[in-house]
Amino acid sequence: MKILIIEDEKALSESIDTYLSAQEYTCDIAEDFATAVEKTEYNDYDCILLDLSLPGGSGLTILEQLKEDKKQDGVLIISAKDSLDDKIRGLNLGADDYLPKPFHLSELNARVAAIIRRKNFDGNNIIEFHALKIDTQNKSVFVNHQNIDLTKKEYELLLYFVSNKKRLISKDAIAEHLWGNEMSGNFDFIYTHIKNLRKKLIDAGEVDYIKSVYGMGYKFTD
Amino acid sequence: MKLLAKYNRVNIPITIITLFISSIAFYFILHYVLVYQLDKDLMIEQQEILHFVKENNSLPEASDYRDQQILFHETKLNTFETKFSTAESYIKSEDEAESFRKLEFFVTANGENYIAEVIKSQQETEDIVQLILIITLSVIVFLLLVLFLVNRFILGKIWKPFYNTLAQLKQFNLSSKNRIVFQKTGIDEFTELNKTALLLIEKVTMDYESLKNFTENASHEIQTPLSIIKTKLELLSQSESLDDAQVQAIKAINTATSRLAKLNQSLLLLTKIENRQFMETEAVNISMIISQYLENFEELAEAKNIRIQRNMKDEVIINMNESLAGILISNIISNAIKHNLDNGTIEIKLSENELIVSNTGITPLKKTTQLFERFQKDSASGDSLGLGLAIVKKICEMSGFLVSYNYVNNLHSIEVRFS
Repeated sequence: MKILIIEDEKALSESIDTYLSAQEYTCDIAEDFATAVEKTEYNDYDCILLDLSLPGGSGLTILEQLKEDKKQDGVLIISAKDSLDDKIRGLNLGADDYLPKPFHLSELNARVAAIIRRKNFDGNNIIEFHALKIDTQNKSVFVNHQNIDLTKKEYELLLYFVSNKKRLISKDAIAEHLWGNEMSGNFDFIYTHIKNLRKKLIDAGEVDYIKSVYGMGYKFTD
Repeated sequence: MKLLAKYNRVNIPITIITLFISSIAFYFILHYVLVYQLDKDLMIEQQEILHFVKENNSLPEASDYRDQQILFHETKLNTFETKFSTAESYIKSEDEAESFRKLEFFVTANGENYIAEVIKSQQETEDIVQLILIITLSVIVFLLLVLFLVNRFILGKIWKPFYNTLAQLKQFNLSSKNRIVFQKTGIDEFTELNKTALLLIEKVTMDYESLKNFTENASHEIQTPLSIIKTKLELLSQSESLDDAQVQAIKAINTATSRLAKLNQSLLLLTKIENRQFMETEAVNISMIISQYLENFEELAEAKNIRIQRNMKDEVIINMNESLAGILISNIISNAIKHNLDNGTIEIKLSENELIVSNTGITPLKKTTQLFERFQKDSASGDSLGLGLAIVKKICEMSGFLVSYNYVNNLHSIEVRFS
C-alpha cells in the first residue's frame, strides 16, 4: 500500500511516516506544492494525506488536478484550519475524509485504513486477525465463524483496535474516536467499555488480544 | 433628569419671576406716569383759574362735572401751600368707590382768601392700569402655554435626531455585522455627534476585527506545533523500553497537550462563531439531534449509572445553523453527564418553545450566571475548561435564543428559549 504525505511541516510528516510505515504502508513525502503536483501526476497512491496550506499553492488545487486526471487515489485532508468551508469544498472536490489538526496518529491511521478499504474494488471488506473476522460492509464480527453481537460503539472500538494493531492507543484517542471532542479529562468510563468488549470476545472463544498498558492506554496485539 | 426637564426647571421659574417683577414695575411706572399726566391737567386748570381771578378779580363759578369738580372754600389762612392728594369717594349712581386726584391751592379774589380745589376723577387711570395688569397676566399665562407646547413638540422634534442616535448606539453590537446608519440632521451639533460616533464605531470595529483575526490566526498557528507534540508523543509512547518515571512523564505531557488542544479548539470555535462563520440557517430537527447525542453518550451515562428522563416532543423543528445545533446540544448533554453525580438523574424537556435540561450535581459555588463567562468554572477539576457554557451562550446569542442557567431544588437546569 502506497501513501503520499503532502505536508510542509517536516516534524509532522516524519511522525506520520514512522507510524504508517510500521503499519506496512510505504510512505512518500512531498513538502511543497510543486513536488506534490509532480508526485501525484506520475504515481498512483492508495491514499494521499493532503495538507491544504502548502508553500507554493493550495492543497485544493491538487485535489482539482486529481479529479481532472480522473485519478482514483484516496484523499484524506489534514488541515490546521478546521473550517467548514474547506471541509465542504474538499469533500465536494472528491476528498474521502477530512481530519483537523491536531490529531492522534491512531485516528489518522484508522481513517487511512477506512479509505483504503472503501477504495478496494475487490469487494474485500473482510478484516481478519487470527480467529477474528470483521465484515466492514455489514458491520458484523465473527469469532471462529460465530457471529458475536456488539453494540455500535463496541464495534467501532474493535475496528479501531484492529486498524491500529500492535500499537499503543491512548485513552483520549479512544474517547475522541468514539465520542468526539466533548469528553475530556477523566476516561474511567473507557475502562468499563473495554471490559465489556473484552468479555464478549473471550466468551466467544477468542484469546484476549486487548492488553492494558499501565498508565498509557491499550494495545491490540497477539 | 432629562435635559428638557432640567432646562424647564430653570427656564420656567425664571420666566415667571421675570414677568412678575416686570409686571409690578410696569404697574408702578405706568401708574406714576398717568398720575403725573393727571397732575399736569390739574395744574393747567389751576393756571386757568388764577388767570381768571387776575383778569376779573372774582372767582370763576364752581363746577361739578362727573370727571372734574372745582370748589372754593373761604379761609382765614393767609397762606396755603399748593398740594396734590388722592382721595376716594363713594359714587352712589355706580355703587362703587371711585378714586380722585385733588389739587388744592390758595387764591385771593376781592380781598378774600380762598382755597380752591380742583378734583379730577382718577378712574380712567385706574381702569387703564388694571387693564394693563390683566393683559400682562394673560401674556404670562399665554407665554407659559406656548413654552410648554414648544418644549413638548418643537423641542421634542429638534432633539429627535439625538434620541435616534442614542437608540442606534444602544442597539450597536460589535459582533453583529449590521452597520449603523444615522439619520441626517440639520443641526450642526448632532451632525458632529453622529460623525464622531461613526468614527468611534469604525475604530472599535476595526480593533475588534483585528483582535478576532488575531485570535483565529493564532489558534490556527498553534494547531501545527500541537500536532507535532501530539504525534511525537504518540510515537514515543510506542517504545517498549520506557521505565515507570518516563511513562508518568509522557502521561502528564499527554494530558496537558490534550487539554491545550481542546482549549485551543474551543477558543477557535468561539472566535469562529463570533466571526459569523456559521451563518447559514436551515430547518433543524432538534428532537432528532438530541436523540442522536443521547445515543452517542449512552455509555458515558451508564458508566455513572445516570437515569435519563425524556420528556420530548417529536419533530421539534428550529431554524438555525445545523453545525451550531449539534455543538449546542452535545455541549449541554455532555455537561449534564460530566458534572453529574453517580446514580444521578437527567431530565430533558423539549417543546416547540424551549429546551430544558436539568441534572443532579454538586451545589455550585459561584453564581450560575457567572458560569456563562469564559474560563469560569465551578470546580477545580481538570476535566473542565470553563468554555462549554460560554460556547452554549454564544451559540444561543447568535441564533436569537435566550439561555439561562439555574440551580433550584438541587437541580442544575439549562433553559434555552427558542423564540
